[in-house]
Amino acid sequence: MSKSTPVDLALGILDHQLVDADGRNCGKVDELELGGFDRATPQVAEILVGGNAWRTRGLLGRLAAHLAGEAVHVPWSEVESVSSVVKLKRTAAELRLNRGDERWSRLFTKLPGGA
Amino acid sequence: MSLKNFLAIALGILSAIGGFVDIGDLVFNTQAGATFGFQLLWVVVIGVVGIIVYSEMCGRVAAISKRPVFDLVRERTGFGAGLATLIASEVVNLLTCAAEIGGVAITLQLLSGLPYRLLILLGVVALVVVSWTLPFEWIERVFGYLGLCLLVFAVAAIKLHPNWGKVAHGFVPGSHSGGSTMVYFYFVVGLLGAAMTPYEVYFYSSGAVEDGWGLKELGLNKVTSIIGYALGGFLSFALMIVAAVLFLPRGIDPQFLGTPPLASADAVGQLGLLLALVGILFAVGGAAIETCFAGAYNLAQFFGWRWGKRERPARASRFALSWLVIFALALLVVMTGYDPVKLTEYSVIFSVVALPLTYLPILLIANDRTYMGSHTNGRLANVLGVVYFVIILLVAVAAIPLLVLTNGGQG
Repeated sequence: MSKSTPVDLALGILDHQLVDADGRNCGKVDELELGGFDRATPQVAEILVGGNAWRTRGLLGRLAAHLAGEAVHVPWSEVESVSSVVKLKRTAAELRLNRGDERWSRLFTKLPGGA
Repeated sequence: MSLKNFLAIALGILSAIGGFVDIGDLVFNTQAGATFGFQLLWVVVIGVVGIIVYSEMCGRVAAISKRPVFDLVRERTGFGAGLATLIASEVVNLLTCAAEIGGVAITLQLLSGLPYRLLILLGVVALVVVSWTLPFEWIERVFGYLGLCLLVFAVAAIKLHPNWGKVAHGFVPGSHSGGSTMVYFYFVVGLLGAAMTPYEVYFYSSGAVEDGWGLKELGLNKVTSIIGYALGGFLSFALMIVAAVLFLPRGIDPQFLGTPPLASADAVGQLGLLLALVGILFAVGGAAIETCFAGAYNLAQFFGWRWGKRERPARASRFALSWLVIFALALLVVMTGYDPVKLTEYSVIFSVVALPLTYLPILLIANDRTYMGSHTNGRLANVLGVVYFVIILLVAVAAIPLLVLTNGGQG
């Protein structure tokens, strides 16, 4: 990704769409984990997706996090580029971001036009 | 412009006209006409211009940034406010979908005489089968073109020879007679809500993203949203005029969905009645599919799931499950036997409350160069966008108090 244009973390990355290497939607940037505060340049360490990543996102987020499972952690090194979406270097399956659709897909595989 | 392009645009406009009217317009326009005559026609104009402004904007945003509306809601308002908007809009979508299904069942009942609850079930099964098997282009065409049968109300409006001077006077806002001021404002809110229902922009922008709109479609977007909705607005005028001529003098309160088609029978005869019923059936049926999918789009876009009518259900399983569940829940709501006309009133009034949080992110993104490049709002779009946002805010604040104070427009 280009290093010259500054990106606003809150407006430009948080809550944006994650897209995998095949161009498929695979969740949102639900929370960002920063690291390296002891160094000169703190950095984004991880993207948190789904589940209890919502617990830091206000009252409704806390409620939603109680109902959901564990968040998936995606290291920032997996990010290919940032535009209006955050594009990842690998596929959703490789990053364990496909669990939601996997869970329900059995319902439809046998139906005509389902798979 | 080539003939083929021209045809494509003409067909798009036709289905936009047929798709404009849904149960909210039917209920509020006829009740407003029956209560206040022509005096509220000006509100329809304001509502139609509003939906034109915002659907053009979100079509343009979809074409340039490839982001549908609920992506923007989440990106701009954050998780908490976004989730609140999601919950509100899902409740409204569900109520609206249920009301449209009720409309389908009532129309089928008037056509066939079979029991209402059986027809609800048959109607939902038919809508699910259509949604599962047909691509959206076909659904849009079939429902849009058959919805054009509603033009019989325009014929009826002319044949009833209304006092055109008085009709023209109705386009000027001013003092009103007959009915209380509270009820008058209740109908102002309801008519605006019916014309500017949020599911239309959710559905429109998601469709544009899924169809892969780009720079080339900007012209198409302008033409279909402006001409399609403007002509669709004429159907709203016709409904109100017909109700004003036939129902107001006789003191008929159209609290039953079968009342408006009877009006067209009075003016155009048996064939008119049949056309009106077929028109309502497909207009309302198409809207049931749109509201249901709008609900599934919103969920998927808020949580970042794979979505789209073209995606295989096994791949975008959460999206497919969402629209099936919404249809099932809507079925349950209608099956309670709650009056679809009342359901419509509540869904329209509550939808007004969800409007500001839907439209504000669109307005912000349409002005954001990082998303839109050189295609940000022009001055006209911004002036209208801001004026309408203020109108929406006022209306959203007034909606629920008016609903309570007027006992749902009963005075």
